[in-house]
Amino acid sequence: MINKKWLKTSMAIIMASALLIAGCSNGGEKNAGNNEAGKTEGSEVSTEPVTFTYFGFGSNKDVLASDTTIGKVLEQQTGVDWKMEFVVGDASTKSGVMIAGGEYPDVISPVAELEKLIDAGALIPLNDLIEKHAPNIKRVYGDYMDKIKSEDGNIYILPYTANVNGYLTEPDIGQGAFWIQRRVLKEFGYPEVKTLDQYFELIEKYQAKYPTMDGKSTIGFITSAGVSGDFYSITNVPMHLAGYPNDGNVMVDMNTHEAKVYAASDFEKKWLSALNDINSKGLLDPETFTANKDQYLAKLTSGRVLGYFNYGWQTGDATNNLKAAGNDDLRYVGLPIVFDESIKDAYIDPPAFVNNRGIGISVSAKDPVRIIKYWDNLLTEENQKLVQWGQEGETYSKNEEGRFVMDKEQLANRNDNQFKRSYGWAYFDYEWPRYGSNSVFEDGNSYSVGNQPEVAAANYTEGDLKLLESYKVETFSKMFAQPVERPWYPAWSILKEQGSPEQIYNQKSEDLQKKYYPKLVFASKSAYESIWNEYVKEFGKLDVAGFEAFITNKVKERVAGNW
Amino acid sequence: MLMLMSLPFLAWVILFKYVPLWGWTIAFQKFKPAKDLFDQKWVGLDNFTFLFKEEAFYLVLRNTIVMSSINLVLGFITAIVLALLLNELRNVYFKRTVQTISYLPHFISWVVAANIVQTALSPEGIVNILLLKLQLIDQPILWLGKGEYFWGILGISEIWKNVGWNTIIYLAAILTIDPAQYEAAEMDGASRLQRIWHITLPGMRPVIVILLIMNLGFILESGFEPQYLLGNSMNVDYSENLDIFVLKYGMQMNNYGLATAAGMFKTVVSFIFLIAANHIAKRLGQSRLY
Repeated sequence: MINKKWLKTSMAIIMASALLIAGCSNGGEKNAGNNEAGKTEGSEVSTEPVTFTYFGFGSNKDVLASDTTIGKVLEQQTGVDWKMEFVVGDASTKSGVMIAGGEYPDVISPVAELEKLIDAGALIPLNDLIEKHAPNIKRVYGDYMDKIKSEDGNIYILPYTANVNGYLTEPDIGQGAFWIQRRVLKEFGYPEVKTLDQYFELIEKYQAKYPTMDGKSTIGFITSAGVSGDFYSITNVPMHLAGYPNDGNVMVDMNTHEAKVYAASDFEKKWLSALNDINSKGLLDPETFTANKDQYLAKLTSGRVLGYFNYGWQTGDATNNLKAAGNDDLRYVGLPIVFDESIKDAYIDPPAFVNNRGIGISVSAKDPVRIIKYWDNLLTEENQKLVQWGQEGETYSKNEEGRFVMDKEQLANRNDNQFKRSYGWAYFDYEWPRYGSNSVFEDGNSYSVGNQPEVAAANYTEGDLKLLESYKVETFSKMFAQPVERPWYPAWSILKEQGSPEQIYNQKSEDLQKKYYPKLVFASKSAYESIWNEYVKEFGKLDVAGFEAFITNKVKERVAGNW
Repeated sequence: MLMLMSLPFLAWVILFKYVPLWGWTIAFQKFKPAKDLFDQKWVGLDNFTFLFKEEAFYLVLRNTIVMSSINLVLGFITAIVLALLLNELRNVYFKRTVQTISYLPHFISWVVAANIVQTALSPEGIVNILLLKLQLIDQPILWLGKGEYFWGILGISEIWKNVGWNTIIYLAAILTIDPAQYEAAEMDGASRLQRIWHITLPGMRPVIVILLIMNLGFILESGFEPQYLLGNSMNVDYSENLDIFVLKYGMQMNNYGLATAAGMFKTVVSFIFLIAANHIAKRLGQSRLY
């Protein structure tokens, strides 16, 4: 008996090590193959194989770029491979550790950690590198040069939103909206829903009729306020309800360009008392402030939730999964809800340039010239098509008029999280130097797959089409008002110095909101007023005027052309 | 010769325990990571003033002290009780199994552990289902949404996670007790409880006192992860501790000066507690740290 066990174990060990060795040698061969391919193609750019490190503060899974199809193609062109890593856990802790250690990956996509990294001198200025080595970068970012230069005249990052050759608006809603489950609209014959009252009324009516689903009670309304770092999904709402786009924690007047904080304002009061109201009717999820991300997304995909407020990027995985599941009644549609009918909604972003989200080269980078050349190569039209559309004939096709189209299977792949990872879209279509999402290629095709009208139309399910027909629109974004140009947009991207009064204000106001929102939402009707007054009084202790003056000033500068 | 042999260790202590204290100068600066010392801006006691003027600081200080006291007291009692109970077990296999099961959670990271706690405590979680079935409550309770419950939840989670691990050292202490004492006591007709009370517990006393003194030195270390992971906007008044406060106003804003100042404050308080406890132990004639 015992002998047999030993035999089995040792066999297993031998097998494992054999596999391991085989795997290693395979990898070696692969690399060698690449070498040659790179060498034959190389012109004056060095194509010595090299692996750089990439760190992204967005969420994703770690990968070796050459393990993806796109990364492989790019490696063959340049000889450069990337070890791509992403943040796990708390982003600011990770950046703090990086700064304290003074050692950085070769390139960083800092997302919200940009201020901190620049402050610590972690990124090198790119001005000379671009001037000397990068004609394509100059072409793409040329019009934006003033906006991407920081105050000291240096370019530290290449942002993701520089639109090229025009501006195409999105057919689908990727931004914030009040989402409602389609079966609710269906039940009542697709009524017009414009105001917050109508929205909640509809949900109430539906829940009264169908209180349970699969034996569990339905949830009337929810936001992701319990997810750590997502508290803005409940505090941003008054701004949208009042008819403003997402400027962060201020609303900017179209004419005077005055920035106003709307926390502790009447708008916020109206929003919170509406929540308080639906809570007393049992429509609000009791876990609104406590559910973590997993719990939250599980609720959304369970189909029990009738309505929610979120930005498209917060629930991407859940909505994709719902779509893949194929039951149109359980999917959601975004509505442009406002306080009252006289307000024109502004949910869709106006043409914007976000200059504080981008990718930069760190001071630890061994070969910045090589990296800038890689980026320059990435920004050719051909490669930009690759990172968005993939390879012609495989992941998309051209029709007779030269328009890019996708068939059912290709489209399913483009939307499938698993396939996006293995093909490399999940890694290369966003956090790299790129055209802005609303760009157009020189041949007239849309840069983003989702913005191509032919694809958007093909993407619609039967349920989609029926819904669109009922509301007499061609695309979902037509249900929303067209955006109005705002030259400063978005105000949230205004840089605030580390440890400055503005940053401290931001933190303190968020702390206060976190503390009082649940109190107000779950308060009894009689106590609401007194808690609200307490909140306003506490808020009055903060330097609101100073913060508003700071933002107003910056907005006016941007309007005058000084970014 | 002995003196010579201790020299390397003395050098080690100086290099790794005293030289880093130099970093405390950051508390008096507006520190920028990339610059060297002479380019830093000196701000005197500004960082301390910000700390002590901040209303929230006193709230988080209260939470820190309460939570670490709960952990200290509960941790001690449960670990000692469990050690005594395990020691009385005669069936070795059963004893080992219990011990292994009880110290396993120690090796789970808090991220996972917090998720387990969150799931168990959600309105549709196992805890609420159980209480509803037993008809102790008639409405599911939002455990993590009530600030007053937070300290209790934290205390219980900490015990669940660490009790087995903390027990190990007491079990070791019990092993050092001379078996002859038990035999003599049995001869004299001492019952089980009497043997525990008069032999086992006094035998463990030196270890208990030393551990208590050492742990008092960590009175401002209530932990960071469980509070950070289990905290939310509804229990923030009870869950936010000094470390989270420092993370928000220090680290996240690149304000390392403030973070260092808070660290210094913690060290000074801990030092006072440690010395006081040691002094009291000395007065009472107990074993002590130095």
